[in-house]
Amino acid sequence: MNVIEATNLVKTYNPDTIPVHAVNNISIDIEAGEFTAIVGPSGSGKTTLLNLIGGLDTPTEGTVIVDGVEIEHLSESELTDFRMHNIGFVFQSYNLIPVMTAKENIEFIMLLQKDDKKVREARSNELMGKMGISETKKRRPAELSGGQQQRVAVARALASKPKFILADEPTANLDSESTNSLLDIMAKMNEDENVTFVFSTHDQRVIDKAKRVITIVDGKVEADESK
Amino acid sequence: MILSLSWKNIWRSKRRSFVVIGAIILGVWALIFMIAFYNSFGAAFSKNAINYEHSHIQIHNPDYLVEPDIFNQVDDEAQIIESIKEEPAVKSYSGRRKVNGMIASSKTSLGVQIYGVDPLAESQTTSLEEQLTDGTYFNKIKRNPVLISAKLADKLKVKIRSKIVITFQDIDGNITSASCRVEGIFDSKSPKINEAVIYLRKSDLNRLVGAEGINEFAILLSSSEQIDATKQKLSGITNNTVRSYKEVAPEFNLMEESSVVTKQLLTVIIMLALLFGIVNTMLMAVLERTKEIGMLRSVGMKKRSIFSMIMVETSLLGLLAGPIGLAFGYLTIVWLGSRGLDLSAYSDALKEYGFDSVFYPEIKTSTYPLMMLVVMVTAFIGAIFPAIKAIRLNPLEAIRKL
Repeated sequence: MNVIEATNLVKTYNPDTIPVHAVNNISIDIEAGEFTAIVGPSGSGKTTLLNLIGGLDTPTEGTVIVDGVEIEHLSESELTDFRMHNIGFVFQSYNLIPVMTAKENIEFIMLLQKDDKKVREARSNELMGKMGISETKKRRPAELSGGQQQRVAVARALASKPKFILADEPTANLDSESTNSLLDIMAKMNEDENVTFVFSTHDQRVIDKAKRVITIVDGKVEADESK
Repeated sequence: MILSLSWKNIWRSKRRSFVVIGAIILGVWALIFMIAFYNSFGAAFSKNAINYEHSHIQIHNPDYLVEPDIFNQVDDEAQIIESIKEEPAVKSYSGRRKVNGMIASSKTSLGVQIYGVDPLAESQTTSLEEQLTDGTYFNKIKRNPVLISAKLADKLKVKIRSKIVITFQDIDGNITSASCRVEGIFDSKSPKINEAVIYLRKSDLNRLVGAEGINEFAILLSSSEQIDATKQKLSGITNNTVRSYKEVAPEFNLMEESSVVTKQLLTVIIMLALLFGIVNTMLMAVLERTKEIGMLRSVGMKKRSIFSMIMVETSLLGLLAGPIGLAFGYLTIVWLGSRGLDLSAYSDALKEYGFDSVFYPEIKTSTYPLMMLVVMVTAFIGAIFPAIKAIRLNPLEAIRKL
């Protein structure tokens, strides 16, 4: 079953002056449980594609259907709500809330969803255990290493059990050890819990771990290989 | 969640939050102090004018108010005195003969108002005896003793026991003169009295004008709250015109109105300064958190939650700082209210306008909650622009910010 269906996606910047086609007629489907890497050189359009799929940006042309919902037809408020319930985001620079502890950061989206305290605590404890960051739960982001922060960010993305996780260059700021550790955790989550991951990356270690690799060059899909 | 997040956000930059809190404390304190100081100005002006010049209530013949001539005497003097004596709110009263005339020394002459007073009654009503700086109070010179102000004495170049001549119109309309001796020199707290009033005994002045009677009753009450009721009662027993000190001297109303306007202006100015401070700081706080706000929007935090978060943050700052500012203001006013604010350095200028040099700042208790409300409204208004700025951030663009 497809969780993401992107059809004929076009994203053009400066359409009235010097048009730049960041995404140029891309169509991809992503099924539940995939571990997909979108790769390509800098400026190839992979992050733009991720933003379109995640409902953070609107396509100039084409449609994005997430879990059967055509997201460009949603109002801004509906889209915000939709993202909260269906999509998990992991950013390159972690983007944790600095005034909150690791545990509070993980529980934040569940708090937005008004989940019960018991539910929140059970889920955050479970995820911290799986991520190997239980001992850091009372620490704030500034007291964590980059690898630990990114694991908290992944746990936050997973906490509300979204349909899929969009991770934009999640290992770009991490050292080898942290990268390998994080990839192992995500791969395990994918194996054990069938969590769908979509990465944008040019990190070979991520590419090696991915089950499917979509290569984008100049806004177009150049290759789409499943391992 | 919003409350908890906002509270944590306040302390992410302690220095900045303390600057805002300090600004609010200072603003509230300054506002309380200025209002209390203004109140003390008004109170001192009223107190001096009541105790040393107008008293609380005055009674005149209605014609005297149109034509302040000696002929327009208070009617039914004896009946009014009886009523005044029976009125428990009355502390003291003084019946005055008032004549316009000239005073001349060997050096110069001046236009003055001559008050013929009963020495004891006048002393009880306007503390005239206490204001003597030289000489005695109607008890040494037998024939036509006169009290004049130090200012007039200086202009006339006279001193105690100097001879002066007063000239005025008698009851028959004839110009008459009398020779008097200066028995006392006073320094009144009323600039008007210092400028142009001299005091004779009422018996002497009535003898000189050739008629008994008075032109004015000045009545001092136990407190200003009793003015309206007493005025109403006295109006019911006489055809004379009974007026409160505010009606006698309209400058009181002007002073009160200008005081209200000034206090409102002060409030607006101080709160505007505070408002700009809050807007500036909160805007800085929002801009510093652009990326974080972008992330919050991306992961599903709604615009109204972001808006509320900024509003609550600012309101919390107001809620923290407001009571501290009020407490500092309160303590300052309590301290100065008992000790007084000594402005002796400006005593000459203040005296010219009828003020003492020590002021006792005062403020109504009801002003404090009102002040808190004003601070909260200011904080709330100050938060609106930064909050709007926060919700207008495009999550995608915000997240890309370094």
